[in-house]
Amino acid sequence: MTADTSLCPVLVGTSGYSYTEWVDGGFYPQGTRTPQMLALYARSFPVVELNYTWYQMVRAEAIQRMIAQAPEDFLFAAKLTRTLTHERERDWKQELALYREGIKPLEKQLAAILIQLPPEFNWSVQNRYYLACLLDSLHDFPVAVEFRHISWARDSVFTELEQRRVTLVTVDAPSLPGLFPCLDIVTNPALFFVRFHGRNVQGWQTGNIQKKFDYSYCRDELQEWNEKYLYSLRSRAEKGIVFFNNHVCAQAPDNARMFRKLIV
Amino acid sequence: MQDRAIIHLNVTDFAVAVERVCDRSLVQIPLIVAPVHAARGVVYDMSEEAYQEGVRKGMALSVARRYCPRAKVLDPRISLYRRAMTALVKQVDRYTPLVEQGAEDGHLFMDVTGTHRLFGPAPDIAMRLRKQVLTSLGLNPVWSLASNKLVAKVASRMVKPFGEYIVGTGEEHSFLAPLPLTLLPGLKGGEVKVFADFNLSTIGDLAGLSRQQLMVPFQKRGSYLYDASRGRDCSPVAMHRDASLQIVREHVFADDTHEYGELKSVLTALVHEVGGSLRRKKMLVRRIGISLVYSDGRSCSRQATEKAGTDNDFHLRRLALTALDRAWKRRIRVRSCVLCCDRFLPRSPQQALFVVESAQELQQQKVLAALDAVRDRFGKKSLCLGASV
Repeated sequence: MTADTSLCPVLVGTSGYSYTEWVDGGFYPQGTRTPQMLALYARSFPVVELNYTWYQMVRAEAIQRMIAQAPEDFLFAAKLTRTLTHERERDWKQELALYREGIKPLEKQLAAILIQLPPEFNWSVQNRYYLACLLDSLHDFPVAVEFRHISWARDSVFTELEQRRVTLVTVDAPSLPGLFPCLDIVTNPALFFVRFHGRNVQGWQTGNIQKKFDYSYCRDELQEWNEKYLYSLRSRAEKGIVFFNNHVCAQAPDNARMFRKLIV
Repeated sequence: MQDRAIIHLNVTDFAVAVERVCDRSLVQIPLIVAPVHAARGVVYDMSEEAYQEGVRKGMALSVARRYCPRAKVLDPRISLYRRAMTALVKQVDRYTPLVEQGAEDGHLFMDVTGTHRLFGPAPDIAMRLRKQVLTSLGLNPVWSLASNKLVAKVASRMVKPFGEYIVGTGEEHSFLAPLPLTLLPGLKGGEVKVFADFNLSTIGDLAGLSRQQLMVPFQKRGSYLYDASRGRDCSPVAMHRDASLQIVREHVFADDTHEYGELKSVLTALVHEVGGSLRRKKMLVRRIGISLVYSDGRSCSRQATEKAGTDNDFHLRRLALTALDRAWKRRIRVRSCVLCCDRFLPRSPQQALFVVESAQELQQQKVLAALDAVRDRFGKKSLCLGASV
């Protein structure tokens, strides 16, 4: 099989890289310590999604240290901090200003800022207004939005994202009622963004992150997904990034490698 | 060796936070927690608003009132803070048995190294924990995550009064370097002055000196400062003492007292209560601690030990009075005293082979056995030592 030249390139990586269990899982060599992980990760993948930026406000000095450890052409997708998405208790404008400042050193190595919205963030007037303000404030960055609530699956939303050249994240997750569906819609021709969360239905409902993302895709599942969605996505965008979030027991890097082989 | 994951959870201004949970009307009012009726009471805790106005812990209440005249002053409720602390620890216990807690101050360290398979990545544990504490107790703790306690504590100080901070493994040195030296935990008053004399203002400045150079002005402390300035701290998370391994009795005086006789009689009564409990459990105690809380809110704790252990009320009283003499050094009235017994031994059923107990001791044992029998039958208050009245 030869690669179709009309299809855009796809970069494959994982959501996060700093997991001690990936040492036990065999992705990192035995004895690997946390500070060595990014350099080792970058030998296998060209892009990573920064998870820790969701847990705490991103800081420029930490980002600079990270950049120093990775090759120059290595890309980062940075999650928006939870105080701007899930726990909006503080002044969001102030938080966003801090985030913008912190993310600055990434510059050309920033693949996208990922706005992952919580499941309860539905298509209400208030939420739409907030999201619009957020997108306005980030208009000078490449942005991707991941919805978890099904109410956002409507044409008006896609059109608005298209006008703003904001990427709609394509998600593969357990098929549960109320969850945003997996769609091959390209709202930003510059970039499509895919996140594989695994299909652990029971784990998803526990809320325990270790159970939620405990899933390993088999070759057939990925092949089927590619046929159904990837061709369509690749034919309508200039570049794509695919992340595997099923980090438990180093399943994410295994699946990412498998996926990469399938698309060659 | 696996990198450690230490979470520091800190409820800022713990006493104030607990008071505000109990009474929502206190939210956003500047608060000072201090003994209101004491002649020379000092500030036990204060809210962020009062802190911003210049109020500090340990400051005389009269001075604090001048700094923040609009502040509401509340009497400290130590037992309430203790209960809140116990509830906080209970939330944390689900994630790891390695928990080190402060005394009613809202601080605790957790070692979650190696728990990722059960609970996921450490930042996720910390975040979930904060949510749980907020939902179930109404307290909003600051959390930080680092590879050791020292760095985690500094990180918490960076984000107070709310927020979070993750210091990645290997980033300790670069994280600490630009920070002011006053953020380094465990510094002694004199050391801060020496830093100023040597024109050292940041932790990085201190880290620029070798171990030998630091030994000159700081002697033995030089080694600690050398490691601390580089973010090195190998101290383990010391598990909190199991409450079941302590017997604690407290007496709060109706009126603050400076009568030695009154304290002695209270202690005798407490010791008598503890002695009976030890004999029932067939245990001996090796250490007795006394904590005195003075009228001005300050406290002092001292201990006395007996290597062989004892359950004899007369011996226990002697130990308690020794600890009392060590603890009571100030000419200030005492508000309450706490008797704390720990380091237990099971009492051997075997008779001593060579050590012959004195006639007086044998007599005491008989008296105590008789006392216990009477009290068991007719109640604890039916019979007591004269010295406790």
